[in-house]
Amino acid sequence: MKFIKNHLMFILPLMAILLGIEFYLVFDRTTDSYEKGLKEGYTMLVVAKKPMTLVQMKKRNSHIASAEAIKRDPIVSEVAKGVSKESKKEILAALPYFYNVGIDSYLGTRELEQIKHDLEKDPSIKRVETFGSSYSSAYKLFSFIKFLLKVFIGFMGIVSLLLVIKQMEIWKYAHQERMQVMEIFGAPLMLRSGVLFRIAIVDAFIATLLTSGVFFYVKYIWAPKSGIDLMMQKQEELFQTADVGLLLGVALLLVIIAVYTVVISSKGVRE
Amino acid sequence: MSNVISAQNLTLAYDNGRKEIIQNASFNIRKGDFVFITGPSGSGKSTLLKALYGQLKPKSGNLVIGGIDLAHVKPKKLQELRTHLGIIFQDYKLINEWTVAKNVVLPLMIAGYSMDVQNTQAHRLLKHVKLAEHADKYPLELSGGEQQRVGVARALSKNPVVILADEPTGNLDEYSSNVIWDLMENACQQLETTVLVVTHKIPTIFSLPYRHFIIESKGVYEVH
Repeated sequence: MKFIKNHLMFILPLMAILLGIEFYLVFDRTTDSYEKGLKEGYTMLVVAKKPMTLVQMKKRNSHIASAEAIKRDPIVSEVAKGVSKESKKEILAALPYFYNVGIDSYLGTRELEQIKHDLEKDPSIKRVETFGSSYSSAYKLFSFIKFLLKVFIGFMGIVSLLLVIKQMEIWKYAHQERMQVMEIFGAPLMLRSGVLFRIAIVDAFIATLLTSGVFFYVKYIWAPKSGIDLMMQKQEELFQTADVGLLLGVALLLVIIAVYTVVISSKGVRE
Repeated sequence: MSNVISAQNLTLAYDNGRKEIIQNASFNIRKGDFVFITGPSGSGKSTLLKALYGQLKPKSGNLVIGGIDLAHVKPKKLQELRTHLGIIFQDYKLINEWTVAKNVVLPLMIAGYSMDVQNTQAHRLLKHVKLAEHADKYPLELSGGEQQRVGVARALSKNPVVILADEPTGNLDEYSSNVIWDLMENACQQLETTVLVVTHKIPTIFSLPYRHFIIESKGVYEVH
């Protein structure tokens, strides 16, 4: 019972850290396409006095990724119904050039305002409409959710690390005497810490397996039945085989640091 | 005969050198010597022993053991030196979660001997200290005297060049103490091991010729 308790005391905080990392990875992957959609669906309207190219606009601001000219003829046809051809030509000549301008990444309102400001410096450009408010509300909500998630994962990570440190103190208490006796008789560090390393590495494997198990369950059992579009459409992104390696790597790194810290702090005092 | 241990103007101190325990001590100990170190409580007997197994670095002077100067020894060299020492503690310092046999062969395990050699040696040594039937027991299942015999067997397991014993009979009754002295006399006589024993009182039953150092007023003096 004590043996199981000792293992769980390390496995659970380690699992919490791994769950936090994997949760962040999954969230990042599944929301990436949503973010892409927001970015791709967004364009700003540029009104210019004369025809412009993408290169000219890019020179003003490097975030500009596309510039699609809006055909002017249908506009004139719509506006000047029943007007003579000559008059239509005059209207067309007087009509400015319109462009749907796309951006390269998901930007905040400040960056959008900067793009507007940069473009409006061009004497050929009459006006820029960013449609910032609707874009901004979606962006802010999305950023807020991401921020909350990061805070939650960060908090969970700190609490878990404190629990790991607590467990390190228990390890130190349990193994210090043996390690010091072995040190006095000339045992090298690896031999002194061998038992502790074995325990910690086993715990790291168990924590990785359990965390992977949770996400496999979410991916193959929970997500298809969840009724959440994002989960059902992005099922593949919920957990990937490569994640097991990443989680194991993180877990092993943490246990190696933890064990080394215990071993070094348990060294006999050489005054 | 050559010196196994040599101290020249040795000063030992705690608290980062502020509290000096032994000052300017000089002495030589030869191969095969049996040495008792006595002195009042707190005089620095155990401190000297700690310095000899590298747990306390000399503040100044030289302390050479087996050709290695402990004042300037590198950690790797110190680790190697310790594998040639047999150390016996007043509080036994056995590893309680290991069996008696495993405790005895700790120095062999550290030296990388095979399991076969370890098992043979454990059996031989435990027979030598009359604890063969306790091989699979754990230290806390034994009496104090028996635990110290395990400590002696561990110290002897790799035929050390020097045995350092810190109050080895301090916690034992007269019968157990006599058994321990007997074992150490044998080691010195038969294996020509140099033995340094820190003790409050030299045992009356001791039959071997020995040297006697007293630590007093921060100095180390030979009296016998």
